[in-house]
Amino acid sequence: MKRIVTLAAAAALFAGASASAQTVKVGLFSEPSAMDPHYHNLGPNNAFSSNVYESLILQDESQKLTPGLAVSWKPVNDTTWEFKLRKGVKFHDGSDFNADDVIFTFERAPNVANSPSTFGTYLKGKSFKKIDDYTVHAITEKPYPLMPVDLSQVWIISSDVGADVTTAQFNSGKAAIGTGQYKFIEWKPGDTILIERNDGYWGDKAAFERVEVKPIKSNPSRVAALLAGDVDFIDNVPTADIERLKTESDIVLASGISNRVIYLHMDRFRDDSPYITGTNGKNPLFDLRVRKAISKAINREAIVARVMEGVAIPAGQLLPPGFFGTSENLKAEPYDPEGAKKLLAEAGYPDGFGLTIHGPNDRYINDAKIAQAIGQMLTRIGIKMKVETMPKSVFFSSASRGGPNKTPKYSFILVGWGSGTGEASSPLKSLVHSKDAANGFGASNRGRYSNPEADKLIEEALATVDDAKREALLAKATEIAINDLAIIPLHYQVNTWATRKEAGLKYLPRTDERTQFRSLVKQ
Amino acid sequence: MSSDPKETAEPASIETAATAAAQPARLAATNVVETPFQRFLSEYCESKIAIVAFFVFAVILFVAVFAPLISPQNPYDLGQIDIMDGRLAPGSTTFDGATTYWLGTDDQGRDMVSAIFYGLRISLAVGALSGIIALVLGAIVGLTAAYFGGRIEAAIMRLVDLQLSFPAILVALMLLAILGKGVDKIIIALVIVQWAYYARTVRASALVEREREYIAAAKALGLSSWRILLRHLLPNVLPPLIVVGTVQVASAIALEATLSFLGIGLPITEPSLGLLIANGFDYMLTGKYWISFFPGVALLLTIVSINLIGDQLRDVLNPRLRR
Repeated sequence: MKRIVTLAAAAALFAGASASAQTVKVGLFSEPSAMDPHYHNLGPNNAFSSNVYESLILQDESQKLTPGLAVSWKPVNDTTWEFKLRKGVKFHDGSDFNADDVIFTFERAPNVANSPSTFGTYLKGKSFKKIDDYTVHAITEKPYPLMPVDLSQVWIISSDVGADVTTAQFNSGKAAIGTGQYKFIEWKPGDTILIERNDGYWGDKAAFERVEVKPIKSNPSRVAALLAGDVDFIDNVPTADIERLKTESDIVLASGISNRVIYLHMDRFRDDSPYITGTNGKNPLFDLRVRKAISKAINREAIVARVMEGVAIPAGQLLPPGFFGTSENLKAEPYDPEGAKKLLAEAGYPDGFGLTIHGPNDRYINDAKIAQAIGQMLTRIGIKMKVETMPKSVFFSSASRGGPNKTPKYSFILVGWGSGTGEASSPLKSLVHSKDAANGFGASNRGRYSNPEADKLIEEALATVDDAKREALLAKATEIAINDLAIIPLHYQVNTWATRKEAGLKYLPRTDERTQFRSLVKQ
Repeated sequence: MSSDPKETAEPASIETAATAAAQPARLAATNVVETPFQRFLSEYCESKIAIVAFFVFAVILFVAVFAPLISPQNPYDLGQIDIMDGRLAPGSTTFDGATTYWLGTDDQGRDMVSAIFYGLRISLAVGALSGIIALVLGAIVGLTAAYFGGRIEAAIMRLVDLQLSFPAILVALMLLAILGKGVDKIIIALVIVQWAYYARTVRASALVEREREYIAAAKALGLSSWRILLRHLLPNVLPPLIVVGTVQVASAIALEATLSFLGIGLPITEPSLGLLIANGFDYMLTGKYWISFFPGVALLLTIVSINLIGDQLRDVLNPRLRR
C-alpha cells in the first residue's frame, strides 16, 4: 500500500513537472519556406512569422485591426497617414524599437533577393517618412483608405541586422530578431522549428514556454500523430477525419469560417478557347445564359454535404456575408438542373459542348474531389466534361501564364481566393477588375473578365476614405460582378484545428486561416 | 525441385521397361511422352502453387479483358456516378434499391467492383505493353552488344549501367514530369525505365551462346550477321528473357500503381488501382477501409500470381535444372 502511495506521489510529481515545462508540440500541414519574414509572401510563412515578429497593426481572429507596434493611426490629410509608435518595446536582442526600424523594414521588405512573391504588393507606390522617433508618415499620390490594412501585413525587423542582411542569416537564426511573443531558437527544415517565450514582451506574455513545430504534410499521418499524443495540436484537420475525431473524448475540434471563397473562373477573352470543343470555334462562356446554366447545374449543397462532409458554406459572392463590403442581396444559386438545360438550349447548345476543368490537387481543402464533383454535375446537363488536376506548383503558373504570349492556359478552372485585407476590395481588385498590371489591378483575373462599370466602381471605392460610402460602393461592384457571373462562387472554406484535451489547449479559429500560436490558448 | 530423386528416377524406369520390349515400341513411346509442350506442361504442373497462381491470373485476365461487359457500371463515365452515393459501405444499395455496391463505393460514388475491374484492365495493359516493348528493345540492344562486342558493346553496356544506377521510380517520376499525364506517357516512361534489364540479361546469355559451335558453323556458312542474330542466337537466349519478362511485367504493374498513388500517372477520372488506393488512403483512419483495401487485394493478387508463374517458368526453362 505504502509503495502504491509513493508511486502515485512520484507520478503526480512527474506530471506536475511535465506540465510546468509547458512545451507544446505542433503538427503543421505546411512548413514555411524560410524564416526570413520578407522572403516569401505566402500563407504558411506569414502565419509563422506572426509568432516571432509583429506588424504596426495586428489582426485579431476575425481580422479586425488592433494596435500592434503602432498604438494609433489616422489620416492627417487626403494622401498622408500618421502612425504613432508604441514606446518601451524591446527586440529579442534587447535593443529598443523606434521609427528607424520601421523605415528600415519598409525599405528592405519589397527588395529581398530571389523572393518568389514579394511584399511589394503592400509597399509599392507608398513613401515613408520619419517625423520623430515614435511617429511615421505614410504618403501616397491618391487617397488610400486601405493603408492600415496593407501595413498590417508587413513584419517589422530590427534595423541592427544591417541593410545587407540575407535570407540565410534569418534561417540560421542570426538575424531572426523580432518583437513578437516568441523568440526564434532553431529551424531544421523538414524536421522541427523551435521557438521560446519572450519574457520581455510588451503585451500579454505567451501562454507556453516552448513551442516545437513538426511539419507533417500527409493528412492521415498528421491525424495519427495527434491521436497517438506525439503532438498536442494540428492544423488543417482533413474533412474525412472530422466525424471520427468528434467521437474521440480527448480531442477538441475548433472550426471557423475563412475569408476564402472557392470559385470557378471562365475564359472570357478568347473566341476559340483551347479546352472547349464541339462549338465550331465559338466560346460559349461569353454567353451569360451558358454561365448561368453552369451555375444552376452545380449542386452546392451536395458538394458541401458529400465532398466537404458538411464543413463548408455554399457561396453566393466573393466573401462570406458579414465581411466589410459584401452584398445583402446575393444568395447562393439554388440547384436547378432542368433550368440549366433550358438555358443551354436557349443559348444554342441543346446537346452541350466539350469542356475541361483544370484545378490544383494540393492547395485547397478537397480541391481534386470538388473538381470531379463539378465534372459529374455538368455532365448531367449535357456538357461533356474532362477533369484534370495537378500539383499547385504546376497549376498556378500554367493557369496564370502558361498559354501563348503568357496568357492563361486553361478555359475553365477551379481556384480559391482568400481576402488578405478581410474585406471585399481584395477579391474585386484582383479577380474582377480588368487586367491592368501597371496599376496592380486584375492580378489574378485568369478569365480576363472586363466590365467598365465594375472597374469604375472598384477604383472609386479604393479612393474613398469614408467607410460607409466605400462599403456601399464595394457591395454594388460585387453585385454587378456576381450577377454577370464574372466568377461562379462555389463555397466558403471552413478550416478546422484540433487539440488534445489533456494538454488543456483550445484554438480560436481565424478567418485568415493562419495557424498562429497567439490564438492557441489554455482552457 | 528438379533434384527430387523420384522424378529423375522416372525416365530411367521407363527405359528399363522399354529395353525389355522391342526397340520400335520404345521409340513410339518416347514420341508420345516427349513433345516439348507436354513436357513443359507436366513440369510446370509439378508445383501446386504455380497451378493456383495460373488460375488466379487467368481469372484476373478474363476480368480485365471483359471489364466493359461484366462491370455493373462504367466507372469512367462521369454521368453514371453520383457523389450522393459516395463512400457507401460494401453491400449498400442505391436509395431506389436498384443497384447493390458489393464492395462499396469510393468518395466520388464509383462502384468499387467496376472500378477494380477497369483498374485491372489498365494495370495489365500498361504492364504487358510496356513489358513487350521494353523486351523487344532490350533484346535487340543486348544481342547487338553481345554479337558485335568491342566498342559497340562497351558503349551500350555503359549506357545500361548508367540507366540501372538510378532508381526506377526516380527516373519514371522525372519522365512523367516532362511528358505529362496519360496511359501512353506511362508506357513510354516504363519502357525507358525497363529496357536496360532486358538488355543486360540478353547480353549475358548471348555472350555464352556466341562461343558455341553452332554459331561458328553458321558463320562458316557465310550467313549474314542479322540472320545469325535473329535465327540462331535469339531463340537460344529466349528462356531467360521470358523469365525476366514475367518479373518485369509484375514490377511494371507495381511501378504504375506507385506512380498513380503519388498522383502523377493517370487522370483522376480514370482511376487505376494505385489511384483507387490513394483515394482511400485519406479515409484510412475513419474506418472506410474498402476504398483502399479491395483495390490493394486485387493489386496484390495480380503481382503475386505473375511472380509465382515467373518463378515456376524459371525452374522449368532453366537448362541447368533440366533433367
